[in-house]
Parts: sequence; C-alpha cells; structure tokens
Amino acid sequence: MINLRDKGAEFWERSNRPVRVLTVFAIMAVVAALPYAGNTFLQTPVAAFDAVLVYPMGMFILMALGLNVVVGKSGMLDLGYVAFFAVGAYTMAILGTRTGLNTWEIMPIGIAAAMFAGVLLAIPTLRLRGDYLAIVTLGFGEIVRVSALNTEAIGGALGIAGVPFPPGLGFEYQLLDQKYFYWTILVMILLVIWVIRRLTVRRPGRAWESIRQDEDAAELMGVSTYKYKIWAFVFGAAIGGGAGVFYASRSMVIAPDNFTLNTSILILACVVFGGMGNIWGVIVGATILGYLPDRFRFLSDARLLLFGLVLVVFMNLRPEGILPRKKREKAIVKKGSGASL
Amino acid sequence: MSKTILNLKDLTIKFGGVTALNSVNLELKEGEILALIGPNGAGKTTVFNLITGVYKPTSGNVFLGDLAIDGKKRHHITKLGIARTFQNIRLFGDMTTLENVITGTDVRNKVGLIGSMFGTPRSRREEKASIAKAYEILKFIGIDEYADRLAKNLPYGVQRRLEIARALGTEPKILLLDEPAAGFNPQEKVDLAAIIKKIRDAGYTILLIEHDMSLIMGISDRVVVLDFGQKIADDLPSVVQNDPQVIAAYLGVPADAS
Amino acid sequence: MFDALIDQFWSLTFSGIALGFIYVLIAMGYTMVYGVLRMINFANSEIFMVGAFATVMVSKYVFKLSNDAIPPSSFKLFFVILCCLLASMLASALLAFLVELVAYRHLRNRTTNRIAPLISAIGIGIVISEIVRILTGARTQFSPNIVPKKTLATFQGAEIRLDNTLTIVAGLILFIVLDRFIKYSRLGKGIRAVSMDEDSAKLMGVNLNRVISLTFIIGGLMTGAAGFFYVNVYENVKFNMGFSLGLAAFTAAVIGGIGNIRGAFFGGISLGLVEIYASAVIGTQWKPVTVFIILILILLFKPNGIFGEAIQRTRV
Repeated sequence: MINLRDKGAEFWERSNRPVRVLTVFAIMAVVAALPYAGNTFLQTPVAAFDAVLVYPMGMFILMALGLNVVVGKSGMLDLGYVAFFAVGAYTMAILGTRTGLNTWEIMPIGIAAAMFAGVLLAIPTLRLRGDYLAIVTLGFGEIVRVSALNTEAIGGALGIAGVPFPPGLGFEYQLLDQKYFYWTILVMILLVIWVIRRLTVRRPGRAWESIRQDEDAAELMGVSTYKYKIWAFVFGAAIGGGAGVFYASRSMVIAPDNFTLNTSILILACVVFGGMGNIWGVIVGATILGYLPDRFRFLSDARLLLFGLVLVVFMNLRPEGILPRKKREKAIVKKGSGASL
Repeated sequence: MSKTILNLKDLTIKFGGVTALNSVNLELKEGEILALIGPNGAGKTTVFNLITGVYKPTSGNVFLGDLAIDGKKRHHITKLGIARTFQNIRLFGDMTTLENVITGTDVRNKVGLIGSMFGTPRSRREEKASIAKAYEILKFIGIDEYADRLAKNLPYGVQRRLEIARALGTEPKILLLDEPAAGFNPQEKVDLAAIIKKIRDAGYTILLIEHDMSLIMGISDRVVVLDFGQKIADDLPSVVQNDPQVIAAYLGVPADAS
Repeated sequence: MFDALIDQFWSLTFSGIALGFIYVLIAMGYTMVYGVLRMINFANSEIFMVGAFATVMVSKYVFKLSNDAIPPSSFKLFFVILCCLLASMLASALLAFLVELVAYRHLRNRTTNRIAPLISAIGIGIVISEIVRILTGARTQFSPNIVPKKTLATFQGAEIRLDNTLTIVAGLILFIVLDRFIKYSRLGKGIRAVSMDEDSAKLMGVNLNRVISLTFIIGGLMTGAAGFFYVNVYENVKFNMGFSLGLAAFTAAVIGGIGNIRGAFFGGISLGLVEIYASAVIGTQWKPVTVFIILILILLFKPNGIFGEAIQRTRV
C-alpha cells in the first residue's frame, strides 16, 4: 500500500515557501468551511452535521491527539483516558453552575484538575510494567465514573444540567448553529498540534521516543524515564481535561453515562486506526471514526463492535495504522548548519 | 600512576542462590584502557550492570571517585559520568543516527518540558548545541555520513559504532564498552581499535569487555580476568597472557589462539 | 455502620468465600496466561461472560428449566449441574483458544512491541461483548434457578446454602486438580518450563505454540467454571458483567503475585471476603471502588504480590 504520509512529506519538501503557505491556507479554508457543507452528501441523517463536527469529530481529534502522546509517542497503554475528560467536564459543570466563573476562566482550572488526577494515578503505576498500567488505567476510568454515579452532591446518575455556554467573543455560541463551537475547537486542535510538535522535535519528544523503543536503554543513556513518563501522562491528561471542559460547556448537561469505558476505547481506536505516534494519522483516524457512525446509521449501534474490530485488525494486519509513523529517512537538520529543527 | 577514577570494592551479587560475582575488587585508573576478559558466564556483563546501576550489589560498593554510586538510579549514574554500550545492540531503531546521539547528549541539558514547550532561549540554545555536539561526535567516530539514516537500517558495523557514539554523547568520564567488536571482521577490528585509542586519547577512561585477544593485547593498558565470578588475574596484557591460571580458565587453549 | 457486618458476620463470610472461589477461578485465566506470555489476557473477562451465558443457555433451552417448573429430582439435578458446568467450561475454553489464535499468536511472533498484543486483545474482548450485547439487546438475562438455594445447616445463626457450598467444594476440587496437573503432568511441566525461560524451553523441545494454546485453554476452562458458579449464585447475566469481575479477579491475581497459582488462590479468597465485608459497611455500589483501591495499594507497596511472582526475570 502507498505510504500516504511519505507522499505528503515528499510533496511538502519539494515545495517552496509560497506553495506551502498556499497549501496550508487552502486546507484551513476547506476545513473551516465544513459547517456550511451540511446540505451536501456529507449530511448526517439524525444529528445535525455542524453538531457532529463538534462532537464526536472535533472532540475525538482533540482527545486522540492527547492520548497519542501517551500511547503513540511514549508507548504506555492508557485505557482510562476518559477519566481525565470526565474530570475536566465535571470541573466545568460544578464551577459553571455554582460560581460565576465562565468557561474560559474555568478552562485552566479544569486542565489543572485533570493534570492533578493524572499525577495521582501516574505516581504509583508508572514505575510498574507496562501491562499493569493498562489495567490500572482501565480500572481508574471506571472508578471515576462509578464515583460520580454514587456521589449525590454532583448529581449522581442524573449528572449536572444547566452548564452555561461559553461567553461569546463578539459572537454568540448557539445550540442550533454550532459553527462557532466548531471553530473554537479547531483553534484548540491547532494549538494542541503546535504544542505537541514543539515538544516532539525537542528533548521531551526524544525522551518519549526512546522510552517507547527501549525503556532500559533510555534510562541507561541518562533519560529520566519515570519523570518523562509522568510528564507524558500528565500532558495527555491536560488535553483530555481541556476537551472535557469544552464538552460540558457545549453540551449543557453531563452525566456519568457520558464517560464510560467505551469512550476510552473509541479514542484508542482512533489512535490505532490512524497510526500510532503520527499526529496527522491520528487526526485522519479520529475524523473517520468520529464521522462514519453518524453518517451511516447502521454503524451507530455497531459502533463499538466496529472499533473493536479496528483494534484487532489493525494491530494484526497493519500495526502502523493508515498513516504510519515516519518510515522515510528525513533529514531533521541540514548538515553542518546546526539549524534548528 | 594516575589516580583511581572507579573503584569496585568487594563486590558480590547473588541471584537466588547463585553467586554471580564473588568479592571482586577492581580499580580503574584515569585515562587507561582496561580490558575485562573471561570465559562466557564469568560475570563480565554483570560487572557492567552493577556499575551502571542495573543491579544492586548484594554486598560491596562501587565508588566513582569518592562517591558510592551503588543504589543510585541508572540515569543518575549516567549523569555522574558513566556511559555504556550493549553487547546486543540496543539502539533506538526508529530514530535517526543523529537523534540517537542527541538523546545521549540530553543528559547534560537542563531544559525541561515547560521550557521546550515555550521555546525559551535556553531551550533553543541547548538544542543547537546538542545538534552540533552530536555531529561532532559522529565525525569523531567516523559515521557522520549516516547522520540522517534510521538506526535500524544501518549496516551492522555502523550500528556498533553508533552505540559508542551515543554513549559518548552523554559526556562520560568513563566509557564501558561491552564487546564492541562482536561480529566484526579483522579489518573492522583494526578500525575499531584505532577508534578506541582515539577516544582514550581524547581524555576518556575506558573499561572494555572483549573476547578478541589480539584486539585486547593491541590496545589495553591492563587486563583483568574473571572466572566464575572471581577475579583471577589483574596485570599487564603480556603478563596475563602467560598466566597459567588464566590459560587454564580458557580450558587450556593458549590465550592468543582466538 | 458496622452493625450489619457484626450481625451477619458468618453469613457474610460464607458468601465471601464463595465469591472468593469465583475470583480464584477467573484469576487462573489471568495468572496462567501471564505466567507463560508475560502479558495480561485482556479478553479474559469476556471469556468469563461467555461461560456464564453458556450455563444460562443450556439450563434454559436444553433442559427447559424455569423458576415455575418443578425443580428436578436429585439425580437429574446432578446431571443438569454437570452439563451446565461442562458447557460453560468448554465454551470458555474454546473462546480462549480462539482469542490466543486471533489476538496473540500472530503478533507474538511478529513484533517486539509489547502494547500491540494488549490492544489486539482488548479489541477482541470488545468484539465479543458487543456481539453479545447486540444479540441480547443489551438486556439482563435471567437464569432459572439451577441449584436450589436451600439451607443445608446453620452455623452461628448463618445459613449455609447449597449453592454457596457447591461453589466452594467444586471450586476447591478444580483448583486442586489444576495445581496437581501443573505440578506433575507433562504439559504442566512444559508450561512451567516456558514460564521460566521461553528460549531454553524451546531448545529443550517444548512446542511453544502448543503450550501457549493449551495454557489459554486451561485458563479458559477455569474461567468458564467460574461463569457457571456465578450464574448459580446470582442468577443473571449481562453482556458487560465481565468488567467488574474481571478487574476483581485480576486484582486477586496481583495480590497473590501474578503468575503464581497458589498466590491467586489466597488473593481470590481474601479479596472475596474483603469485598463482601466492605459492601456490608459502605454499600454495594462502592464495591468496584474498594477493589480498585486495594489493587492500587498492592501495586504501590507490594508490586510483586504477597507471595511474590512464581518466576521473576531481570531485564537487560
């Protein structure tokens, strides 16, 4: 099969600056215009297309990017990613309904809360073997949900309703026309991509990559593996938390049922499907897996079944996903120049 | 005699009931090339694992200068100035040659995750310096033409040399080489001997595990022989070569036969 | 708060031990596979669920049992119990065999990436539970009463019920058989050899694929038996029942030192007891949380379990 990622990278390297700028603008314009494509073949039969763009698609991309840092870049299997999403969402819901704070003010608090949860979970488990981490995170995701379900103070099974929309910034966020939500999430996605790219070409990225490939060798080469594993975990948690804050603020109502194990699995499937470790692959994966079940209704009941199959099939037949990690040998620095990455 | 830089005192380690090393004493002088030899299973790699913190000794200590380093974390020991290569190559295969070495240099860098994220001046400076340093090391070892290739696609000999380059990236005082010539043909061995000498001349101290006697005789200043976890000889290469106990350890085969 | 615990102490203890045996049997599915593969069998909770469904199917559709019908006579009862137990064990064993074939075998030989087989096993677990969910319409299926819940005796005011007693006695027998089997049979020796050192075992002529397959099958047999006992006591099954029981059984395996069969026995019984006592004190809805906290505490302070892993290998 053609390696699409390499084709893309080749095109990118062949082109000069104006072509690159133009390409980026063209892609951005198409992506930003998507909410207006609601009446075309893209239309989803039940949910409105613009709403589908926000959730699941946009939200999946955001979370898959965060999870990818943990699973794809650092090689740690986190099966309870939804927990951080839930922590962010509940922070938003509680503070948004009980204090006067608005979404943007709560955002850093929600992210911090998710990071705190990440540290709490990481400290006892990241010293252990990788497969223990998988099952502990699996349990953790479920524990957060069960705890929310059994705590009447945060609404129990009913959850919390009346979470306020984000305040508009010269425009109003609307329920029936979600293009502003969509554009906001686009900005968040771009921001996250930018940060991840910066990290991955620098020291933290190398540390994560070395841990993924050979943790013992990495540690003997001086990489503080425990520290960087915690960082990867907490960084992933921060993105999950941020996504959760935004999700709660858009959905107005949240309940423990929104944060089941299934969500963790769906996000993992997005990462695996697209290609672990590759930002663009993950985005494509999350886009496709987020969109298809809404577009084709027969898939929506079998959604999880489909995603389970994706995990098995892709791990066995195409473990690199549809857009593999870099295969080609790419010069990261020009010889002798010492130019930055 | 120059001063002792690494000192193993009464080092003993037991796995289950088996004593892998029994009260081994070993001194490494600054600037020397010390070869550690012995039959398979004599405990050579175990010595490396004890020095680099992979194992904790059952009793005894490892001193780097005056500092006891046994029980310290592995990456901390690397930071203190001990780097190693692996008998079975353990490069980061999905990284380029250059990235492998840069990963080694990172131990000297101070920038953390937050600094990298915001691209602070220090982070930029350190990144630049690391890249330049890694290039220098690749040139020094003579594999800079492979800088942009993925490590897993490199020829075997280059991979072995990259192991050394990556270890040098950590700016060690002491370099531990675990069978660096394994699988090499005679010409490659000669080249490697030159590289090892060059590294020593650049101011590093080298502890070397090797099976190839001619290589050892050619470059080492001193030879320590282990047999069944015991040190049975510690002397100049020419003396060790004729030590009857050593010859016996190698099953009566004359030491220069290999 | 503790009144319930004190009042019903013995009754809780009996249920706790019975639940513990269910955990012990499921834990075999984790601990045996971990012993040979050094990997968690993530689909084991689904293997258990299918085993439980098998009992419900056989009792309901083959023997046409229902709660309105007259309970079978003692000979027929014995026959029904045996058939249901065997059906559960075989269904789970077959599934475990397939899981190994589909999710592990290919990847085991092909990649050194340790998380790939885990993801693949999780995937197959999801596929199984989703198929069951779709087939059952996500509804809880109720099982007819197979073993009558009649009281055999009372001890300190606590009723000793037939279903719990059967779980304990049969569970104990199964465990002892397994333990002896691993210790003395040829295959058992092969399994132990592989778990100590895969490469040497291969050199010694152990057929690795066969041993691994059979390990999954034996783990499946035990896990399936647990499915039968579970249905006996709780009389209902649902597509997602495996999750909490699987997590608890895994915790039991970790408590005893994963890979260590006797450790898992101790871990299962003690976890069963703690869980039942804790439920009496703080309420059943917090049961999964209790289990999880125990797991975290064990990993934090005794990561190799109370008895240590049967085999430890040092890396590098």
